[in-house]
Amino acid sequence: MYEHDILIVGAGLAGLRAALESIEAGKNTAILSKVHPVRSHSCAAQGGINAALTDRGDDWEDHALSTIKGSDYLADQEAVEIMCREAGENLIELEHMGVIFSRDEEGRLGTRRFGGQTVARTFFVGAITGSAMLHVLYEQTVKQNAQVYEEWFVTKLIIEDGECRGVIAMDIHSGKLEIIKAKSVILATGGAGRIFEPSTNALICTGDGLALAYNAGASLMDMEMIQYHPTGLAGNGILLSEGARGEGAYLLNSNGERFMEDYAPEYLELASRDVVSRAEQIEINEGRGIDGCVLLDCRHLGKAKIEERLGYLQEVATEFRGIDLAEQPIPVKPTMHYIMGGIKTDFMGKTDVPGLFAAGECANVSVHGGNRLGANSLLDTIVFGRRSARAAIEHSSQVNSISKNIDELNNETKRIQNIINRSNGERSATLRNEMGEAMTSGIGVFRDTRSIELAKQKVLSLIDRYENTSIDNKGKIFNTDLIFNLELKYMLDVALTMCVGAENRKESRGAHYRTDITERDDKNWLKHTHVVKIDGEVQFYTSDVNITKWAPEIRKY
Amino acid sequence: MKFAFFPGCVSRGACPELYTSTIKISEILGIELDEKALESASCTGAGVLQEKNQLLGDTLNARNIALAEKQNLPILTICSTCQGVMSQAEYRLEDEEYRAQINETLAEEGLKYTGKTPTRHILWIIVEEIGEKKFKALVKRQLEGLRLAPFYGCYLVRPSKALKFYEKTERETCLEDLTEWVGATVVDFPGKTACCGFPIVTINEKASLKMVGNHTSTAKDLGAAAMVTPCPLCHLNLDQYQDRAAWMMKREIDLPIIHVPQLVGLALGLDPEELKINKHVISTKKLLSEISLQP
Amino acid sequence: MVQTAKKTIQIEIKRQDPEINNGESYNQVYYVGVEDWFTVLDALIKIREEIDGTLSLRCACRASICGSCAMRVNGQAKLVCKTKLSVVEKNNKVLIEPVGNMPVISDLASDFKPFWDKFNAVDPYIKPEGEVPDGEYLAPNDDMVHLVGVMNCIMCGACVSDCTVLEVKDNFLGPAALAKSYRFIADPRDGSQFERLQDLEKDGGIWDCTRCMQCIEVCPKGVNPMERIMSIRSKSMENKIDNNYGARHAKSFTDLIKSNGIVNEVLLLLKTKGLFNIIELIKILPIAIGAQLAGKRPPFFSHSSKNKDEIKKIFKKLEDKE
Repeated sequence: MYEHDILIVGAGLAGLRAALESIEAGKNTAILSKVHPVRSHSCAAQGGINAALTDRGDDWEDHALSTIKGSDYLADQEAVEIMCREAGENLIELEHMGVIFSRDEEGRLGTRRFGGQTVARTFFVGAITGSAMLHVLYEQTVKQNAQVYEEWFVTKLIIEDGECRGVIAMDIHSGKLEIIKAKSVILATGGAGRIFEPSTNALICTGDGLALAYNAGASLMDMEMIQYHPTGLAGNGILLSEGARGEGAYLLNSNGERFMEDYAPEYLELASRDVVSRAEQIEINEGRGIDGCVLLDCRHLGKAKIEERLGYLQEVATEFRGIDLAEQPIPVKPTMHYIMGGIKTDFMGKTDVPGLFAAGECANVSVHGGNRLGANSLLDTIVFGRRSARAAIEHSSQVNSISKNIDELNNETKRIQNIINRSNGERSATLRNEMGEAMTSGIGVFRDTRSIELAKQKVLSLIDRYENTSIDNKGKIFNTDLIFNLELKYMLDVALTMCVGAENRKESRGAHYRTDITERDDKNWLKHTHVVKIDGEVQFYTSDVNITKWAPEIRKY
Repeated sequence: MKFAFFPGCVSRGACPELYTSTIKISEILGIELDEKALESASCTGAGVLQEKNQLLGDTLNARNIALAEKQNLPILTICSTCQGVMSQAEYRLEDEEYRAQINETLAEEGLKYTGKTPTRHILWIIVEEIGEKKFKALVKRQLEGLRLAPFYGCYLVRPSKALKFYEKTERETCLEDLTEWVGATVVDFPGKTACCGFPIVTINEKASLKMVGNHTSTAKDLGAAAMVTPCPLCHLNLDQYQDRAAWMMKREIDLPIIHVPQLVGLALGLDPEELKINKHVISTKKLLSEISLQP
Repeated sequence: MVQTAKKTIQIEIKRQDPEINNGESYNQVYYVGVEDWFTVLDALIKIREEIDGTLSLRCACRASICGSCAMRVNGQAKLVCKTKLSVVEKNNKVLIEPVGNMPVISDLASDFKPFWDKFNAVDPYIKPEGEVPDGEYLAPNDDMVHLVGVMNCIMCGACVSDCTVLEVKDNFLGPAALAKSYRFIADPRDGSQFERLQDLEKDGGIWDCTRCMQCIEVCPKGVNPMERIMSIRSKSMENKIDNNYGARHAKSFTDLIKSNGIVNEVLLLLKTKGLFNIIELIKILPIAIGAQLAGKRPPFFSHSSKNKDEIKKIFKKLEDKE
């Protein structure tokens, strides 16, 4: 009870893949998630998963180069090689588990084109690839009788002698806090989209794992690299997959022009996302937008293709906007979508803190560098979910379990109770809304010294004001009011690291585009940025990018 | 208004009172029923045949409709299930390829399905074609004081897309509207669009009886003096199995169930006997005396 | 972002707090300023964020893909993130309740344990047979595309909430679990079709469905659970797993139409139960007597269609086709 070899926090693709690996290795494994596993935000990934299948003549090195180029040369090349080389094997494994990937005429796995790739190597299930994969991985955990702490929320990592030994977590159903001991902890908590407004992300994407790791002394790397997806729905920010452009959809400005011809003559709409988002933003800023948007035009694809391959997009368009994609173009705009930055890990998912591992969006290996290519995230989760489990397994066989530290549990219980007891304070949502607005305008598609500074000052003041927030719900059972308040603190901590990263990286690279320093500076800044907390102080430093065989070049699409 | 009359199987079997009352009220309402047009028609399959073979079911229904089309007549049904199954078939037959495939089979009998006039239940025809004004003008006997619970029958309310609820919004409340037009009071209750349990009465009687018991007892407790339904299959279950359901629930229910044409008939001034309202298992004697009608 | 609200809606919510009044439910009314484009979820989030943080509910993606936010709106299960307030409000009022057929933990957050238990009970993972290929299993794209329809299921629980059989029989596997079963039965790579079909014949399986179409009506993703159950029934009968009243009923019904064009209820009953099934027939006797006394017993030799031959022809052509 409450004691395991491997504890995985987060039950999305990375978390579940890690769990399967660990269970199959015979380890005492448990998954902990603040939502039921199938509610994890991996379900929202639509377009597909990249893999170079070498038995068909595809070249994983070409995939690697596309990825590195896409990252604006900030990705660690050895990590990218690992990911691209292992992709094929991981993909086939997924198919064997039962994922209903699309097929070609011969019944073999079929592909579609995706952003930044030279050939079609994206494998997909309609427009629900993430959901389809997530459900299959969940089914496999059911098959393995996996233990899941369902709807539990981690409030703190347990660090003893500099090593991670477990977590303190709350059972949301009862409100009770428990110590869960583990020899290795893998964080797979996903992204932090709710720091921004709007965002394509779910309400649960609040950077929990990032904040937990950061507060335990792990460094967060390249936090200024924030991906704005070119085709988010105006208003609520719901994602319209890149798969649409992969199937041939156009982006048009108010003049009905395919403006990407000016910005990326070769790749057009399938250039890397940062390039496309910036192009859109320029069109909008220069008056060629429509109500702050550009248009995604799928009409020429025809109803049949839309229904078969982009079914979920059609559902979103009709249900949320009353638009039939076969009849009308749909307004879209750059929307915060993904964080390339994250908890720094090595190629096996190890973080700076022994016993603490990370995989998926919350981790930064780095495979995505300054900009992630579409369909590489699903790949990242599977490859590094598996690898981090292997590293965690190895670590777990070398350590003993800790004795239960009742004091730490009592202190944590008191801390939480104090938050509950506060009254007449500001509402959590007020602070979150202010943060969302400030971060989107300060660290947006375009940013400069001033905008970053404004965002940082706002975040710092919100961190102060947080201490006086209060909640309505004083009960124990299913207290989402409390959870939201704790998530707010996580978001504020992570937002600060984004500001620190952004102000310090004095160049433009990938998604970090400064209008006051527009050039990429390989000489001084072919480096990763790190933000870390040492003795309560926020510190910044850099580290070199791992280069194997691809020298940085000017990035043209 | 002339229609090809599709009486369905049950109104010629276990619910003959439905057939009789339909003929009687049609005369007064000005609905001309051609009873011969569909002599060669088959059962719609009631969703059961479709379980075994969907294509066969759709073909038989297309055939029924094509037989009426040959006479240039739209079909009138008196059963929620017949209506629902046919509407679903019509919905599927909107697909050109599927329609062509089925027409190939029908051609062997010299028939063709075009779907030019959709099939309609007599309840819909009263509400949509005749309408409130004309209907109320024909009402000779206001059924004031009659507290009536509506029970639609699954097939007349779902799936709403196939039944064209988005276009014909009156269909959603047609039974309640009719109740008001005859001067009666609607007793709203949560089960009015739920299932009567008929489809599983021979398969899982206990569950079926619970459904009967729940809906009739809830309506009764909310003050209903009777329940009205446009479906003879629902009538079968709610009427014939009510006593058994009551016994299972260890309580009395005693809620008479009447058919839509019987309700309309009473309002149009016909005698209860003409409408064979005494031919039910749960007696309607008390009901009729409450609204000052001799049984 | 402060937005000037266009109008005020009265939102009545059925609430329940295990720590208050022993968890007795009560209705609470909120008055919320809303915009034209608000979904029901937008309004609930506004209540939670600005008016009353004690309201418990589950929501995550806001984009109808995670399945967290199924609730009953005006008595019918819906995914509230894609339900426009303007469509459901009547006279500026809306009633919101937790999903049906499941216990409630708190307010609008229901306990999905029974739901997941039934999901687990159908062995919801692929069971391939034979040698595992090096590369992918070959499979026709049409099959995979067909499965996308059922894979669209996001496990939201709307169908289970409004299932009329689950209201009266809680060991029925339910539309979600059965649709999930179908997903494996129809997957060419799964090698355990026959065993799955055998399992689903048991009590609580496919033959409990009463074909009320509620699940089809409320499913927010077009999964059509009832049709999947019918497909499983069809496959069961094809595989001769048909020694149960449900299959006998379907077969008898079909045979009666084939031979007579019309269905005779008496014959249907006898054929379903079995002519020599004395016990069952004795149980039906009181009903039959009641019908007889009311003058409602159908004739033994009933009407038949005028043109039986044409009907028989169609049967012959299509009976073994699908």
